[in-house]
Amino acid sequence: MGLYSEEIRNITDKSSEQLFEFASSDESKAEQSGYSNYSYWRSTWKSFLKNKLAVFLLILVIGIVFFVLIQPYLPYQKSPTEIYLDEETGYQVRNLSPNDEFWFGTNSIGQDLWSRIWAGTRTSLLIGVVVAFVEVIVGITIGALWGYSRRLETPISHAYNVIENIPTTIVLILMSLILRPSISTIIIAMCITGWVEMARFLRNQIVILRDREYNLASRTLGTPSHRIILKNLLPYLVSIIMLRMSLAIPFAIGAEVFLTYIGLGLPISEPSLGNLINEGRVLMMSPDLRYQLIFPSVVLSIITISFYIIGNSFADAADPKNHV
Amino acid sequence: MKKYLLLLLACVTVILAACSGSEEGAGEESVYRTIYSGEITTLNYLKTSNTNEFAVAANLVDGLIEYDKYGIVQPGLATSWESNDDASVWTFKLREGVKWVDHEGKEVANVTAKDFVDGLNYVLDAKNESSTAWIATVVKNGNAFYEGEITDFSQVGVKATDEYTVEYTLEGPTPYFLSMLNYVCFFPVYGEFLAEKGESFGTTKENFLYNGSYVLSEFEPQNRRVLTKNATYWDKDNVLIDKIEYKYNKEAATVAPELFVRGEIDAAAIPTAILDDWFNDPEKKNLVRQSSNSFYTYFYALNFNPQFDAEYEPENWQVVVNNKNFRKSLFHGLDRVSAMMTVEPYNPETLLSNTITPKNFVDVDGVDYTQLDALAKFSNTDSFDAKLAVEFKEKAMAELAGKATFPVKVLMPYNSGSPDWANRSQVIEQQMENLLGKDYIDIIVYAGPSTGFLGEVRRPGKYAFMEVNWGPDFADPSTYTDPFTIGGSYNKPELAEGYTDSNGQPKYENLANTAKAAIDPAERYPLFAQAEAFLIEEAFVVPYAVGGSGYLASKLNPFEAQYSPFGVTMEKFKGQKLLEKPMSNDEFKEAKAQWEKARAEALAEAGN
Amino acid sequence: MLGYIGKRLLQSVVTLLVIITIVFLLLRLLPEEGYLGAAADKMSPEQQEVYLTSLGLRDPILVQLGNFYSDLVRGDFGKSITYRTDVPVLDIIADKIMYSLSFGLAAVALSILVGVPLGILMAQMKGRWLDRLGTGYIVFIVAVPSMVYFLLIQVYITDIFKLPMLFDQDKPISWLLPLISLALGPIASYAMWMRRYMVDELNKDYIKLARAKGVKERTLMFSHVMRNAFIPLAQYLPATILFTITGSIYIESLYSIPGMGGLLVDAIQRQDNAVVQGLVLIFSSLGIIGLFLGDIAMALVDPRIKLGRGESVR
Repeated sequence: MGLYSEEIRNITDKSSEQLFEFASSDESKAEQSGYSNYSYWRSTWKSFLKNKLAVFLLILVIGIVFFVLIQPYLPYQKSPTEIYLDEETGYQVRNLSPNDEFWFGTNSIGQDLWSRIWAGTRTSLLIGVVVAFVEVIVGITIGALWGYSRRLETPISHAYNVIENIPTTIVLILMSLILRPSISTIIIAMCITGWVEMARFLRNQIVILRDREYNLASRTLGTPSHRIILKNLLPYLVSIIMLRMSLAIPFAIGAEVFLTYIGLGLPISEPSLGNLINEGRVLMMSPDLRYQLIFPSVVLSIITISFYIIGNSFADAADPKNHV
Repeated sequence: MKKYLLLLLACVTVILAACSGSEEGAGEESVYRTIYSGEITTLNYLKTSNTNEFAVAANLVDGLIEYDKYGIVQPGLATSWESNDDASVWTFKLREGVKWVDHEGKEVANVTAKDFVDGLNYVLDAKNESSTAWIATVVKNGNAFYEGEITDFSQVGVKATDEYTVEYTLEGPTPYFLSMLNYVCFFPVYGEFLAEKGESFGTTKENFLYNGSYVLSEFEPQNRRVLTKNATYWDKDNVLIDKIEYKYNKEAATVAPELFVRGEIDAAAIPTAILDDWFNDPEKKNLVRQSSNSFYTYFYALNFNPQFDAEYEPENWQVVVNNKNFRKSLFHGLDRVSAMMTVEPYNPETLLSNTITPKNFVDVDGVDYTQLDALAKFSNTDSFDAKLAVEFKEKAMAELAGKATFPVKVLMPYNSGSPDWANRSQVIEQQMENLLGKDYIDIIVYAGPSTGFLGEVRRPGKYAFMEVNWGPDFADPSTYTDPFTIGGSYNKPELAEGYTDSNGQPKYENLANTAKAAIDPAERYPLFAQAEAFLIEEAFVVPYAVGGSGYLASKLNPFEAQYSPFGVTMEKFKGQKLLEKPMSNDEFKEAKAQWEKARAEALAEAGN
Repeated sequence: MLGYIGKRLLQSVVTLLVIITIVFLLLRLLPEEGYLGAAADKMSPEQQEVYLTSLGLRDPILVQLGNFYSDLVRGDFGKSITYRTDVPVLDIIADKIMYSLSFGLAAVALSILVGVPLGILMAQMKGRWLDRLGTGYIVFIVAVPSMVYFLLIQVYITDIFKLPMLFDQDKPISWLLPLISLALGPIASYAMWMRRYMVDELNKDYIKLARAKGVKERTLMFSHVMRNAFIPLAQYLPATILFTITGSIYIESLYSIPGMGGLLVDAIQRQDNAVVQGLVLIFSSLGIIGLFLGDIAMALVDPRIKLGRGESVR
């Protein structure tokens, strides 16, 4: 017993003098702990960089876009629409297999497939980017209003049901009568009908979020609607919006391929991935000429896969839950 | 997985067994199988003007006359006929004992003269929406009845004078009337049946009566149809194929060649795109051949009534198109072979035509129309001549200096629904600009809408220089003058400056009218040839080509078929038999040469 | 509930009316040349007028519209003009619907039966070979244009297994390949969706808690994870099933299946107004019914969801 009490007495002795000290409060340090160096976009970018494949594909896509833009100005490039003639016969060099001069060969009337593919990619990317951009802007605006405003909900729902059910084919035929078949016709026609899906998607997301407690609180505090939409709702949806946006580009290119298949695409004097693939389709049965289908299909596949994977991993990265 | 494979294997074996079994049993029956991508919309031959639909009707219903394989008129349902002196009243004696049968071959009624009257009555009644009524208006009061000016059909020039005699009274002298009889609007129909079925006539195989070489034993639109030989047919000994099986496939162009190679079908079109592959393959190269040309004629029209947008400078075009040297420079500057290479790279010349009226259309005592004096010099030379073209260009530039601006914008639209046409336009643009110089012409290739193209582009005159086409309606050269006479919707040659005759009429109009007034072919045809030569000589048009269906792999011999430029004749299977193996292209060329020789002899003989 | 159904029914009828009226007017804007077809060049202007009048196209637009409505009220969808002349629109559709419906239903069943398990397996073996293989498949389907691989499948598989190239209703073996081709895409999307869902769900707190509490893995899977997974599935399934009747334009074309695929596009291009009108009416009704059934199905599966608060479109 004596042993213990001795110990204890010693402890109290120490405690009173050495074990505890009064700390003085440091204002600047207090501020430091309240501050976080977390930046949403930087973290998103950081976690995106972790996905090596996606980064590689992103570089690839940027490379393709860059290449497609400068390709016509590079040396040894041929015109995508010029028909090349055989010097001996004076007639077109038809269906020439890939060689030194025509890197991807020529098509059935003697045009250079290499430059046609890049011209086609340029056209298709242009269509894809413009359509995706319009879809996203219009889709988000209308979708947000539709989902958030109870007054606009019914009219927009009806408008949606109507627009959704008008066949695109009719719109396209009418457009091509008024404006003649061209890139702008296709873009306009695809934009007219394209945004509804995006709007519906966004609206559904917002309906889920709009009555959450934090929005309710916001409303009770008198925050104006536009501020709730812009500051409370949309940031929450950034990741899904990014995903949709990156998928909208390959979707638009795919839609162009389909339109060409049903005969409402671009005229073949304007090369696009759609009409290159459609032209090449019949050659599938013919092993010697199959290259005319394979090259554009490969380019289309690369672009689609890239956007697809980039979009998915960017969506993952943009989700704050994955930032920790 | 293994189970599935076994199941699959079992199924395959069963099917193989079934196939070989059926082959043995069907040894004697001759069956022709093919696939098609354009479905017919109706069996109602009195209503349609679509070739696909004629093609079916041609084998199900017979008309008054037929042709043999050289194109000489033969008795059909009419055994004999005669006309009055100016060929305006025609009387036909009908074959007795011909039956209307249903799709199972059961007899329903006799074919009588009244059936021809009922057929025409139906066609000319506007409420039946027949799209061939316009051709039936050759019959007296036909147009008046169609437009509702008279309502009593007995005033229309067709009569059944007795049970087996039918008489047509026409609006005017029509020496070529016989050839019109092969158009579906002159076909008979059993009136009672038609009245009973009303609007549903021709919608199913049951709602249809047959008197032709085949009956329709299966008819499932967008799926298949089967034609079976008509056992009661009056001329059944000449029907050599027992059964014709059609299978629908919208992608026929893609899958047909493969199906042919596998022996699942007996005829397939081989698209130009894969021709190289077929010709380079030792096994396939003997299976493929050219096809016979059609009578659709293609030519480049220079528009005298430019109505296109100001950005393409219609006034400037109006000035240059009225200069003969300018027109001639385009005429001689168009390299038609290189244009044709886009669809026919192997024998491009066989499709070219140097005249508007194609070869083998009509003849004067065995001399082909295109070889008559006025046309011979054009028929036998290629219009493309680089040196001449440049010479005319120099002259035109000198004459037009100060009046027109160079380079002249030449608006050349094409139908964006036709990839071949798009390719051709690009080839021509480049070829002509290179030859004549970019300082002289600037050809603007313009993609027109794929729906309603002609109504949006050609008829309103929204082009400068464009490929257009025309198909004949009856065996007379006058059928090829329609696009160019006043009221035509083509290039409006009546507006050309400096071609008005003393009577105030355009020169071409006078030439055509003079020719139309002559009745005897020996006098009439050379006059039409002169009118046509005028269009070519003055370079109002550049003749380009005739239609053709490209390359085929087919077990039919086209030279056994009935031959006539017009109507449903060429669609008949009667007279054709199934070959053991398809003709090769060499065999085809040989057979064609032989046929042309034999034909000239037969025509000369028939003329005498 | 009944009041809710009644209200939605009424709204749907109004929507349908607006749709068909707009489509009706759009069709009248198409060029008249389409009705004349090949004969356009051959007829005189007067004859063209007579022809167009006989089709009823010369009546004032309101009269045309009135006629159209009154026919519709009597259940008369009209007759086709340029697709199958004089055949009632409903007969045309009835002939084709069974083909598309049976292929479509079989393909939906196949894609759920294969796609959902594939997705679950991929999620459970995340990062292992099956997952990689499945991902490769999904990426392939998404990226390569379908018209390219459909044709390859048709030509080479039939050649290897000696199958018939074209569909034939009398030979069941010929149904196999179009069915598989039709299911390839949906299999990929079901698998992809299921995998993503599972991965997300398995990371959730309630799953961790349940695991920690010792709930059996199988019970966890079937009565928690799967049940939640089927909520969105239940919502979309009715529409998916109803829309199988529209058919697949490319596969039906390749294999000669006489179904609905491409019928709408064909009818529009041929300007067969009655057929277009009929199809639009049917398709949009199906769309609206599909949404409605989806909402009901979802409410049945998920007790947390209550209908009737204007959340009709999802």
